[in-house]
Amino acid sequence: MLNNPIRLALVCATIVWLTGCASPANKQALVADDTSYGVKHPYSVSISTSGGGETSATGYTNITNEDLASAIEESITKAGLFSSVIKGSDADYKLGVSLISMSKPMFGFSFKIDMEMAWSLVHAKTGDAVMRESIKSSYTATAGEAFAAVTRIRIAVEGATQNNIRQGLQKIAALPLD
Amino acid sequence: MIQKEKPGFIIALLSILVLLHGCAINRATATVDQTTDLSSLKLFYVKKYSEDTRDTNVLIKDRLVEMGFHVSETETDVDAIVTYVDKWFWDITFYLLELTITLRDPKTDFPLATGNSFHTSLTRKSPEGMVAEVLTNIFLNNQKQGVDNAK
Repeated sequence: MLNNPIRLALVCATIVWLTGCASPANKQALVADDTSYGVKHPYSVSISTSGGGETSATGYTNITNEDLASAIEESITKAGLFSSVIKGSDADYKLGVSLISMSKPMFGFSFKIDMEMAWSLVHAKTGDAVMRESIKSSYTATAGEAFAAVTRIRIAVEGATQNNIRQGLQKIAALPLD
Repeated sequence: MIQKEKPGFIIALLSILVLLHGCAINRATATVDQTTDLSSLKLFYVKKYSEDTRDTNVLIKDRLVEMGFHVSETETDVDAIVTYVDKWFWDITFYLLELTITLRDPKTDFPLATGNSFHTSLTRKSPEGMVAEVLTNIFLNNQKQGVDNAK
């Protein structure tokens, strides 16, 4: 069957289509701006993120720390969860979010991304941790969402991240901060 | 031009492309959560990864002991549980492509710290070297946080 170079090329093209190559996550697609938490903590918060990384052309879709911090900040601001997000050291609370793990499927028509992030919230003055949560999320991007595998992987990464941010902010909304 | 070539040539060409594709990627990172005091962690339990068939857990145990920590055979009363994911790849021989080690709170499963090393074939390290690199980065060379909007 593979003796014909055209057939061989088609097989290769199919493999490339099924596997795809890297495409960075779209920052705006990470924002969880569709949820109302019903709470406005009357405090300011600063955000720090870690565990993310750049997307290389030969690597896998990744989220940069900058984009993750920016998406969390925008999600908080749009939901009004805190009175303000401070870009300085004077915030009442310090939120730390670290990307711990992200699955990296290579083949398939549907791509399911499983993700874990560590969320911690610290009272800035006392240094007390008021929240330490391991938050797991996932998202499956199907062939119906995008034709190219590279796009499905990116959509799955963005969806899992957005779900994680939504869960993290729901946990924070439930905290009795003082 | 390609149509005149034999399929074997095309396969060989594609194989070379695949081999050259990202053949020297190195990455080593570690982060420690803002609420974690690593100096308080002395006793660990290394939980074997369900898909590990190469006893990477033993290498992690040995390295922790070399670094002066204690390793328990049970999860009871430990300061942290060590979990890991090892990804092996084949290129002439099998090698450890990526290793992620996470220290977790034994009561809540919260990730206290995590480290990751990724070395592709041409810059491959021995499994022992990968374990040493990740643990050294967690305990000695960690960055407290990646991006801080407080700056």
